[in-house]
Amino acid sequence: MASDTRKGDIELVAVTKRFGDMVAVDNVSLRIPHGAYCCLLGPSGCGKTTILRMIAGHETPSQGDIRIGGESVAGQSPLRRGTAMMFQAYALFPHLSVLDNVAFSLKMRGLDREERQQQARELLTKVRLDHFSDRLPAQLSGGQQQRVALARALITNPRVLLLDEPLSALDEYLRLRMRGELRRMQKQLGITFVHVTHTQLEAIAVADMLVVMDQGRIEQSSSPDKIYNTPRTAYVARFIGGQNVLSGKVESVSDGIATLRDAGGARLTAPVGNARPETGSQLYLSIRRDRIEVAKAAGNVADPGEANVVRGKVHSIEYQGSYAKVTIDLAQPEEFVANVSDVDFLRAPVEIGDDVLARWLPAHVRLLEGAGGSGDQRIYADAELI
Amino acid sequence: MHSTADQSRPWTFYALAAFFTLFVLFLYGPMIVIYVLSFQGPNGGLTFPLQGVSLHWFDALIKQERTGDIAGAFRRSIGLAAMVTVLTVVLSVMAGLAFRRRFAGAGLVFYMAIASLIMPGLFVSLGIGLVFQMLGVTPTWYGSALGAQLTWTLPYGLLIMFAVLGRFNRAYEEAASDLGASNWQRLRHVTLPIVLPGIIGVALFGFTLSYDEFPRTVLTSGSSNTLPLEIWAMTTDVTSPALFAVGTVTTVISFIVIGLALTSIALIERRRLRRVSSLDESSTVG
Amino acid sequence: MKINQQTVSWLQVAPLTVVLLVFFGIPMLIVAAVSFFDYERWQIVPAFIFDNYVELFQSSLTLRLYVTAIKYVVIVWAVTLIIGFTVAYFLVFHVRSLTLKMGLFLLCTVPFWTSNIIRMISWIPFLGRNGVFNTGLEELGIIDQPLSFLLFSDFAVIVAYVHLNTLFMIVPIFNSMARIDPGLIEAAHDAGASRWRVIWEVVLPLSKTGIALGSIFVITLVMGDFFVVKIMSGGQSATVVSALATEIASLQYPPAAASAVVLVVIVALMVSAILRLVDVRRELTG
Repeated sequence: MASDTRKGDIELVAVTKRFGDMVAVDNVSLRIPHGAYCCLLGPSGCGKTTILRMIAGHETPSQGDIRIGGESVAGQSPLRRGTAMMFQAYALFPHLSVLDNVAFSLKMRGLDREERQQQARELLTKVRLDHFSDRLPAQLSGGQQQRVALARALITNPRVLLLDEPLSALDEYLRLRMRGELRRMQKQLGITFVHVTHTQLEAIAVADMLVVMDQGRIEQSSSPDKIYNTPRTAYVARFIGGQNVLSGKVESVSDGIATLRDAGGARLTAPVGNARPETGSQLYLSIRRDRIEVAKAAGNVADPGEANVVRGKVHSIEYQGSYAKVTIDLAQPEEFVANVSDVDFLRAPVEIGDDVLARWLPAHVRLLEGAGGSGDQRIYADAELI
Repeated sequence: MHSTADQSRPWTFYALAAFFTLFVLFLYGPMIVIYVLSFQGPNGGLTFPLQGVSLHWFDALIKQERTGDIAGAFRRSIGLAAMVTVLTVVLSVMAGLAFRRRFAGAGLVFYMAIASLIMPGLFVSLGIGLVFQMLGVTPTWYGSALGAQLTWTLPYGLLIMFAVLGRFNRAYEEAASDLGASNWQRLRHVTLPIVLPGIIGVALFGFTLSYDEFPRTVLTSGSSNTLPLEIWAMTTDVTSPALFAVGTVTTVISFIVIGLALTSIALIERRRLRRVSSLDESSTVG
Repeated sequence: MKINQQTVSWLQVAPLTVVLLVFFGIPMLIVAAVSFFDYERWQIVPAFIFDNYVELFQSSLTLRLYVTAIKYVVIVWAVTLIIGFTVAYFLVFHVRSLTLKMGLFLLCTVPFWTSNIIRMISWIPFLGRNGVFNTGLEELGIIDQPLSFLLFSDFAVIVAYVHLNTLFMIVPIFNSMARIDPGLIEAAHDAGASRWRVIWEVVLPLSKTGIALGSIFVITLVMGDFFVVKIMSGGQSATVVSALATEIASLQYPPAAASAVVLVVIVALMVSAILRLVDVRRELTG
């Protein structure tokens, strides 16, 4: 099953989509290289699905252009563009057998019965569903339906496969298994995958290229590990999970390190490189939750000169297997969490209500650009690290 | 109303069930009386007791003694119903598809259809009769009566198509386009087959409403009667159980048609909606 | 070659619209026009006079006809509402298995698809002096003399109306009730509401649309009927439309037309009054 020889790189050029007064996608430009597994990640309403549908040809941009393989696909039907879509609930034709579902596009093209059924059977064998050829979709389980949907899309030899929340209809166990399947398949086929999801862990697990979106705009677009370790904005840091976002006013800058004072009076440092932020300006920074050391404060008073340590009360403790999620109340609106490894926690346990000191190494601090997102504080559900 | 763990029924269940049973008896009782009475003996009257059991009155129907032109009326009713069914299905499906988009005048057409539904049949009959009279055209069962019956069946067909297409998931159509189907192919291979049960429903309504239709046909069928008109004529001088025999026969036909339609709908739906437990999964995901 | 989507819709809806215009829209306009015509013994004379309306409003017969009609409507509405609500309630909330629910629902609807006239007539051997009901009661020793008010009376008319039209109450109310989130009922129970309170506070308000739709159907059907009242009252009672039918039979079209127009206006007022109280548009357009 050779993939289309036209290249499958995708380019969005200043694309905007409006629905009446509502702007779903706001002047987005993006380049997805051929053969990449790209995930569009964001909460509902961020525009990721709209972008997917515009690439597919099911929506037209209000402004801007979409190019695939270097040529503009404006006005072209999905088939002509070389894209195929896997719908959220699979949309398998309920009145056709699995075989006929897969062979559908060939039938539309006019292939005769023998020919198209044979090709369909070949594809079904590849996804290990050939024994189910004569069943109706309703007789299949969720995972099986998904594979049929995949086969149905792939028979058109697309250069780009678009997946609209492909795993959300499955239960937890299947989700994890199918994740691997999708990744494996993409590598085998060598075509571009664009996968839309709102689940952070799923996205960082499958993607080569991760695009975090909010309110119609791209917040950050990079590889998953770069996004996880160096989130660009506070929005991305909060959404991707596993990070604490702190902020403070600049007191001084020297040797590429800015010293800040936060609202609670604690001293923080942040690497600023060559930039010279003004004294008194507000900077945002992130520190990974698993890079924080927690110790009881009793008797322990922090050196007033020491930076990157904060003091608060333990608000809650959640056991998560390999670590304990310790939420510390800093008398600030933003949540502060330390993921303490189970070994460390057993060695020096804390309880709810304890006064504690949380410290981290300056080298682990990352500077964030502005406040990101819509400006108002939206705390997203933490990503649970397994 | 109660948790599924609670298997016992409150007393209200039994009271309501009794009420429901009485209601069903109320609905079917009199009809059953007629069926029984149609087997009345040759000397029997219009009420019980049965004086012998016989097929005498059915025989009388066939031989057309005392019954007017039953065979002809019957033929006409079936023919008319068939025509009405086909027209209702085609026109309602087309119009139903039209209403999926907004178009100027949609509201007007909709209200006209509803008005046609609620309007007393006799008035429609009167109107059509007058129009034909003014134009000097003779009303006929295959012309004016056909049109009159359509004013009754088309609104029903349209409403059914609304319900069916409203529930129809557009994702199927998008998937079809995605796979290269043209608009026409999409309609033919995806949309219509999926809403087929609804279309059968429209056909069912078309047939039964036409077959039993009386008020709209009464002034528009011209010189030849349809079956309901013939029955009406018989009621005005009810002298024999032949009327009951007619009733039984015509009801049996209705039941057969209904049975066919409902069975096909049930079969289609059952094949498409069967659920499978996800335990099947483990054996096949490699 | 892209045809405008609107044009496609117009083309699709055109046949249905044309049929409705030709066989409903225009005839209704003609009826309205004829209501202003004059008439001589055997023919109508095109004119523009109000005489028909004047006579209509001045005649005390008109008032009596309307009183009779409205009397029937109110009683039938009340009875069908109570039965309809109870049956729908039973089916939706007390029957647990879905198949059984749909099966029983179908059981109620099947008679609708058979001939109205036959169903109506089937009451005659049932209610007559020598009919099943009377002989049954006599055998059981409950009565000595056959009850004569059962047939060819107001009672018979109402029974027939209820028999024919309760279905029109059951279906919309069933639909409305089926849409009620069971969680609401449970929440009400948890909050301590008794069964009756739950019905009064939760079920009833949420079934409003169904009740409104059912009422509209029942009212228009009863107001517009002419044959049930004629047969079942044995000719003793007359309502607006049955009197109208007599006028038509004697070819007095203009006064009949005027009577029709007035009835339509009055029924339209009743229907819009109901629609003002309850918004049914959502229900109709799915």
